[in-house]
Order: sequence, then C-alpha cells, then structure tokens
Amino acid sequence: MALSAAAAVSARLAPNIEEAELIRAVQQGDQSAFETLVRSYDQSVLGLAMNLLRSPEDARDAYQEAFLRVYKNIHSFRFDCSFYTWLYRIVTNICLDHLRKRKIRKEEPAQVETSEGPIDRTYMIEEDRAAGDPERSLWNRQLGSRIFAALEELTPRERMVFELRHYQGMRLRAIGEILDTTEEAAKNCLFRATQKMRAGLGDFV
Amino acid sequence: MTCESVSELADLYLYGELAGQEEDGIEQHLHGCAACRTAFDRQRAVHRSLDAMRMAPPPNLLAECRQDLFRAKQIRNPKSEIRNLFFEWWRPLALSARPIGALALVALGFFSSRLTLRDANLTANLASIAGEPISSTIRSVQPDASGHVQIALDETRRRLVTGSLNDGNIERLMLAAAKDAGNDGLRVESIEILKGHATSADVRDALLTALRNDPNPGVRFKALEGLKGIASQPEVRKTLTFVLQNDQNPGVRIQAIDLLTQRQDTALVGTLQQLVSKESNSYVRQRCERALEEMNASVGTF
Repeated sequence: MALSAAAAVSARLAPNIEEAELIRAVQQGDQSAFETLVRSYDQSVLGLAMNLLRSPEDARDAYQEAFLRVYKNIHSFRFDCSFYTWLYRIVTNICLDHLRKRKIRKEEPAQVETSEGPIDRTYMIEEDRAAGDPERSLWNRQLGSRIFAALEELTPRERMVFELRHYQGMRLRAIGEILDTTEEAAKNCLFRATQKMRAGLGDFV
Repeated sequence: MTCESVSELADLYLYGELAGQEEDGIEQHLHGCAACRTAFDRQRAVHRSLDAMRMAPPPNLLAECRQDLFRAKQIRNPKSEIRNLFFEWWRPLALSARPIGALALVALGFFSSRLTLRDANLTANLASIAGEPISSTIRSVQPDASGHVQIALDETRRRLVTGSLNDGNIERLMLAAAKDAGNDGLRVESIEILKGHATSADVRDALLTALRNDPNPGVRFKALEGLKGIASQPEVRKTLTFVLQNDQNPGVRIQAIDLLTQRQDTALVGTLQQLVSKESNSYVRQRCERALEEMNASVGTF
C-alpha cells in the first residue's frame, strides 16, 4: 500500500501540462474545471484527514475547509511548486490546527458519530486478516486501541510526519517541502515519532 | 555499527530513509548479531501492524463531502448564485416571451404595411398611439369578394402608471404583481422593490407568503432579504422556522438559520435539536449546534 501511494505521489510531483491548463482554467473562473481538479485529489485528501483526525465529522470539515481555501486562493497559485504540494500544505495546516485544538481539549472519545449512528473507532480500521477469526479480531482490536493511545502521545507535528511517511508513503524531502521545513528536520521528527510509538506499543507485538 | 545505533536507526531503515553507508552498516551488523536480528524482526512486525490499522473513511463520506463542497462553493460565490438564479427564473420567462415576440413582429409588419398606404387619417390615428406599446392577437382572417383580406385583431394597450409605494393604489398593484403565478421575473422584481417596505403590514404579509409558498427560490431569497430587518417579530420567526424545516433549497435554509440565531431564543431549542440529527447541510447543522451550545442546551435529543 505504501509503495503504491509513493508511486502516486511521485507521479503527482512530476510536471503535468494538462493539470496546469486545468488550474489556469480554474483561475479564470471555470467552475467545471474546479470540480475536475477537486475530483482528482479529494479522495487522497479525505483519506489523509480521516486517518489523521480519526473522526468522519472532523475529516469532513477539514475536506470542506481545504477545498474552499483552494477555491478562494487559487488565483495566488504561481506554479512555483506542484499543485499537489500546495494543496497538501493547506490540508496539513488545517489538520494540524485540528490536532492542536484537540490536544488542548484533550478529548478523543472512544466512539464517533457517523451518518449510520455512533460506532467504535477501532471498528473503522481497514482490517482484512481477522475475517472469520474471533480471537484474531479481538487481538486486532486490542492492538488498535494501543496504537490509538500511542498516536495520542505524539505531538501534532510528529503525528503529521508519521502519517505522511507511514500511511501516505511520502519521502522525507517532500514532507519537508509540505511542512515548510528541511528534510533533516522531518527525519528527526519521524525518528522521535517512531521511538514514541515503539515505547507506547511496548511488548504488545 | 553498535547494537544501540542499529536499534535507533531500525525505523528509518525500514522507511528507506537512510544513506547507503548507514544501510550497509545496519545490514552487516544484523548479519552477525542474533539479538539485534530478533529485535529488528519485532520492529518489522510493528510496522506491518501499523499498516493494518489504517483508518478508512466510511462509505458515502466522499460523496457527501463533494455534495457539501459544491453547495458551499455556490453560496460563497454570490456571482454564480445570482447567475444561476437568474437563469432559473429567466428560463420560463424567456419561454413565455416567445409568443409575445412573435406577436410583436406580426403587429410591426401590420402597422408598417398600413403606414405604406399613405392614408392621412390612418397615419394620424396611428401617430396618436405611437408612444404606447400595443400587443395584438389575430382572431380571424377572411378573404372578401374584392380580393382583399379581412383580419380581426384583439389589441391590448399598455398603460404606464408611475407613483410612490406610499400610494395605496401603487402598493396594491405591486402586491398583485408579487403574486402573479405566471410570471417568475415579475415576482422577483416586485419583491425586490417591496422588500424595502417591510414595515407595512401588507408588504410584510406578502413577503411572508412569498417566503413560505413561492416555487421560485430567487423570489424566496428576495423575500428573506426583505424580512431581515424585522426578523425578531414572532410571525416572521414562525415563518423562518417553517422554512428552516421545510425549504428544499439549502441556501434559503442557511439564510433562515442565520436570521433565527441572531439572538438567543429558547423556544427554538427543540427545533434546533431535531435539525442537528436530520439536516443534510453541514453549515446549518453547525449553526444549530453552536446556537444550542450558546444557550447551554444539549445538542442531541434523548
């Protein structure tokens, strides 16, 4: 999964003439071009927000805020970086704000509200190994709880770097560019995050 | 490389973020150190477990997000909204205008041909009405024995009336125009003019009726604008609440919730609580939640 995500990222970082035309059309007020642009990226944006914020409602808010900011500020996009990087700067800033507010509130309820009613967070993980095996399922749920707790111990920035590297498969150089820092600083951040994760999981695995 | 540094760098190694020399150092050390190999295998297992804990968005969330975004974008782009509204009410207007245009052409041809007769009396007769537009409907055509054609026309003459809205007759005409079911454009224009006079009881009632019943959202938007200044009146709040619960247009509902929550009103608590669970528009839901929090009321119903 990480490899395919990394390949997708590389493809998006490469110059893309069609995309540039699409962005220019949006800058000139073409509504359908905006919708096309949104549909090109919104699945990965929602996936990132969902995995980071671990709440469908927060992910939904982050999605909406991110693309409305894109819509409002696209005229200032000057093609001096890839659109993907520019978009991810917006999304990561919004998600970092969410994480920081959450740190202050110190709230992360075990259940989340969805349109289908309240559900346990750990049921929302992508789990395919445990199908039909109750013991394995229980073990997975316990591991999930431990991982959530370990993730909670990371600072918002560590959480972000960990997410972008581990789940989005991005290289540290690209992460540095998105988070407006150096590759070395992103590497140090990832190092701290993995150390904390390892300590948090203890001898569970 | 020492056991300690291998342990520290194992994660970065697994992410492929080490320089070639460091990678070589780790691999050489693991090859010769059984304890580090065991610890490294454990670390690799942790990575695999983390992969499996990726959280997927619930089904339909992406579709819902797109729907919310494209709606919200329209609301934040009043230019496009106005353009859409214009086309929405212009379409029936344009369709209904087609026969009128055709008739105007017939009338133009008719009068032009008569003018070419150079009949002095007729010219004088036409001159007297030249400043007043006439719409004509041809009722019948019949040839006569002399080879001419006899055409029967119904003519409707337009009359211009000018006056202030303070004039009762003018206001009555405007109120009638605001209810003209066959002409969306006329209703939009009428409500646009009337909305500045919502202090008159009759105008206020017309705005409330339009807001509650008019099928054209453009008319309902105009009515909402007219009611902004008197949104605290009980009758207005009642209609706004009705609209908030029943209007199909999210833009209208958004304006309604904004007006209703300008001030705290505990009578709204039940309605807001219901809307939190059933409203499809996220902005309206958030406004409901915020208003409930400001009133120290619970967000959900129990």
